[in-house]
Amino acid sequence: MNFNTTYYQLELRRLLRDRVTIFFTVALPALMYFLFGASPDYGSEPIRDGNVAMWVMIAMAAYGAVSATTGIGGSIAIEQMQGWTRQLGLTPLQESDFIKVKVATAVTVAAAPISIVYAIGFLTGAEAPMYVWATSAFLLILGAATFALYGLGFGLAFRSEAAVSAAGGSLVVMSFFGNVFFPLTGWQLTMAKFTPLYGYVSLARRTLTGGATIDPETSELIAEPLWQTLANVGFWSFAFAAICIVLVRKSRVRQ
Amino acid sequence: MNNCIRLRDLHKSFESPDDGSEIQAVDGINLDIHTGEIVALLGPNGAGKTTTLDMVLGFTSPTSGSISIFDRSPREAVADGRIAAVLQAGGLLRDLTVQETVTLIASTHNNPMSVDEALHRSGLTELATRRVQACSGGEQQRLRFALALLGDPDLLILDEPTTGMDVEARRAFWETMQTEVQRGRTVVFATHYLQEAEDFAQRTVLMANGRIVADGPTDEVRRQASGKRVKARFSTERLASVSATISRFDGVRSVSSDQHGLIIDTTDSDGLARLILQDLEGTDLEIESASLENAFVQLTSNEMELAR
Repeated sequence: MNFNTTYYQLELRRLLRDRVTIFFTVALPALMYFLFGASPDYGSEPIRDGNVAMWVMIAMAAYGAVSATTGIGGSIAIEQMQGWTRQLGLTPLQESDFIKVKVATAVTVAAAPISIVYAIGFLTGAEAPMYVWATSAFLLILGAATFALYGLGFGLAFRSEAAVSAAGGSLVVMSFFGNVFFPLTGWQLTMAKFTPLYGYVSLARRTLTGGATIDPETSELIAEPLWQTLANVGFWSFAFAAICIVLVRKSRVRQ
Repeated sequence: MNNCIRLRDLHKSFESPDDGSEIQAVDGINLDIHTGEIVALLGPNGAGKTTTLDMVLGFTSPTSGSISIFDRSPREAVADGRIAAVLQAGGLLRDLTVQETVTLIASTHNNPMSVDEALHRSGLTELATRRVQACSGGEQQRLRFALALLGDPDLLILDEPTTGMDVEARRAFWETMQTEVQRGRTVVFATHYLQEAEDFAQRTVLMANGRIVADGPTDEVRRQASGKRVKARFSTERLASVSATISRFDGVRSVSSDQHGLIIDTTDSDGLARLILQDLEGTDLEIESASLENAFVQLTSNEMELAR
């Protein structure tokens, strides 16, 4: 098992230098949780064994995690475009070693906003049994990997840094339409169920709600079958992976 | 002498992105490069130099033919650190410092040269803490060179290494390279700067349209290709007939005139000089060696005519 720790540490150091990314992945989700989860009165309303603040917190952490991994995925495409992959091709580093470093970096940066938002949540009134904290965090990290593929696909398709920033920006839009930033109802909720962030966030929230979403007007729980959540996650993971495979093949032919 | 690079009947074709037709980028190359040689791969853009070097480095596979680098495949030679390259452009992470970049690439090698030593040899010690994005083109090229040294390679490949450098940076770069050659490295560089081939390479391989059109000691390639340029004066009334006589003489490639007389490109300058002085009553005879620049134009344009 050889893992290049020097490369991994330098990757993290690069990320820490990028203030814009740090803002979107850590500061923004923390702030949003504070505004929409911790501060309002409804935050302390119960959901099963937890409360609404917890429900909001999971979503904000999710937004931070996918922002982070989308950026990592996109950066791989940019590095390839700038010839860094070629530079590495001149060294004994194997492609699998490179992937290991990138995966480890992605997991680390996804874990950062989750830990910070969860820590803030813990101190400001988010409540749930211990196993909900643990399993939701685990599911968030796992599912964030899908969005590394989303960022990679964007980067490969448009081949520019602006495109990767746009991919990050699109997450904000998808969060509004995906029941992430605030709860939707009626036809908007129906539409949301088809967007990529919906499944990812719903899966992590199920640990709290047992499989339901909140109706913002009546504060009632609206039940949702597990297969719908899984179908959403499965479809989008498959779609992002397939798009990346097609684009990688295309870029190889171009060389 | 040991063989470093051995290419046999190497072909590489691409599908044109425009109309899907097939482009022969490399069209049947045979080449042996021995340990300790400094070889210039010279040719205009599109001659197939970069494609050839990409195959030598294992970035792309040949359509047909074989490559061996120290009797193994290119990828094996790269993994062993026996071959390294200075890439043409890009290939650096702009947000890392010079030292971090060297540290990162060093971490991929089994027995790397120390980071300080690589920085020192490439003249980067002073710039160690500078971000790559703040480095000039010449400094970035020195950094790529430092990265190539890390694995202590026996064979260094340079693809147009001084593109974008000013005269001073270019001279300094080649001085550094001379030192490395004295340490026993084999160097192969692609260039379209003819002066670089003349100044630095013992051997020049001239490429055009995916083929090798000349290969030998650099001064011989020049001589063989271009011969000499002869100038002489003649009386005005006889100019037309003299010109006709000279054009029929063996070895003459071209005849042109200016206000001073005739300018003749030839491979047999001695024979032509005798003819001009003894039989044609020419005066003010001058003979000069053509530069590699002329050789280049001559050979590559001949090749293009053949291709048509």
